[in-house]
Amino acid sequence: MSSYGSLPSVHGGASPAQSGGPAQLADVLERVLDKGIVIVGDIRINLLDIELLTVKLRLLVASADKARELGIDWWSNDPFLSRGGGEQLESRLKRLEEATGIDGDGDERR
Amino acid sequence: MYGVVSAAAAGGRSRGVGGNPVRLLVEGGVAALISDVPLEEFGETSLYRNLNDPVWLEVTARAHERVVADALAGGAVVPFRLGTLYHADEHVRAFLAQRQDALVRLLNRLEGAVELGVKAWFDRALYGAPEAPAAVHSGRDYLVRRRREAELARAADRFRGECAAASHELLAAAAQASTVNPPQPRELTGRPEQMILNGAYLVDRGDDALAAAVRALESRYGSRGVSYELTGPWPPYNFVEGGV
Repeated sequence: MSSYGSLPSVHGGASPAQSGGPAQLADVLERVLDKGIVIVGDIRINLLDIELLTVKLRLLVASADKARELGIDWWSNDPFLSRGGGEQLESRLKRLEEATGIDGDGDERR
Repeated sequence: MYGVVSAAAAGGRSRGVGGNPVRLLVEGGVAALISDVPLEEFGETSLYRNLNDPVWLEVTARAHERVVADALAGGAVVPFRLGTLYHADEHVRAFLAQRQDALVRLLNRLEGAVELGVKAWFDRALYGAPEAPAAVHSGRDYLVRRRREAELARAADRFRGECAAASHELLAAAAQASTVNPPQPRELTGRPEQMILNGAYLVDRGDDALAAAVRALESRYGSRGVSYELTGPWPPYNFVEGGV
């Protein structure tokens, strides 16, 4: 026998959230973001965005290097998803402006 | 919109995303579980931002899940993905009318069934640690030991794959339908053991054949470092693909 605790039993009728504490967030996200019926309503959730999240979930599955406590902030370092993306874009723009000699922010340039 | 239930189902009493009451919108033989959400929060631009806010995402995802799970207590439910949004009830009604047949078929197929999740965890240390490191007296001893370690590592890898496949096979035999999802990495699980199986199984509500299969697996593989975790019952998220 393994040294692990006893096997959790099935709780008939109870939702996962009710059987022995809340369901793991990863289990919930896996289901509500990646499974279930997908239809396009009036507001396009910009399917690309949710696909990106889903891709991140899949990516997570493939790579397991960085230790993260909960794993819900996995996109914090992703330039596509984090707010840092804006800054990155800005600095790239600035570099481009400099390269082409366009004065982006009013500095004196020759 | 959270999901679709039979028009005869009693439900829609719970609170949904943002604490707003869940309503049942009936059209023919089916009904949509819906609640109102503010456009400022769920418009296209803000939705993009909010989806990437971990706290917002967790709260919203759990609220969505809870509504669908509550509905499951009253009968079959077809779960929809988070973020299915319509501007007006009439549009939801039009969708229900248009997909009526497919929705009814799906509800009939899912009647009385729930989804259970089974994860298998592998603890490499319990599989078989390299024997107590014998004192290294020579280069040859060292090479022998390295080779033994490499063999053991290969054997553990092989075992992991075989155990996951055999486990799923036994579990699937105890279910109406089954599917395997990619194992979640440690960042997500926060556990030191490695997840080697992340399966979903559709079973009759109250049927404990799957739980029995899990116990059988636990006694078969437990001594080699494998433990199992049963979750659910869940709404059948994993069993509606291509259904509507």
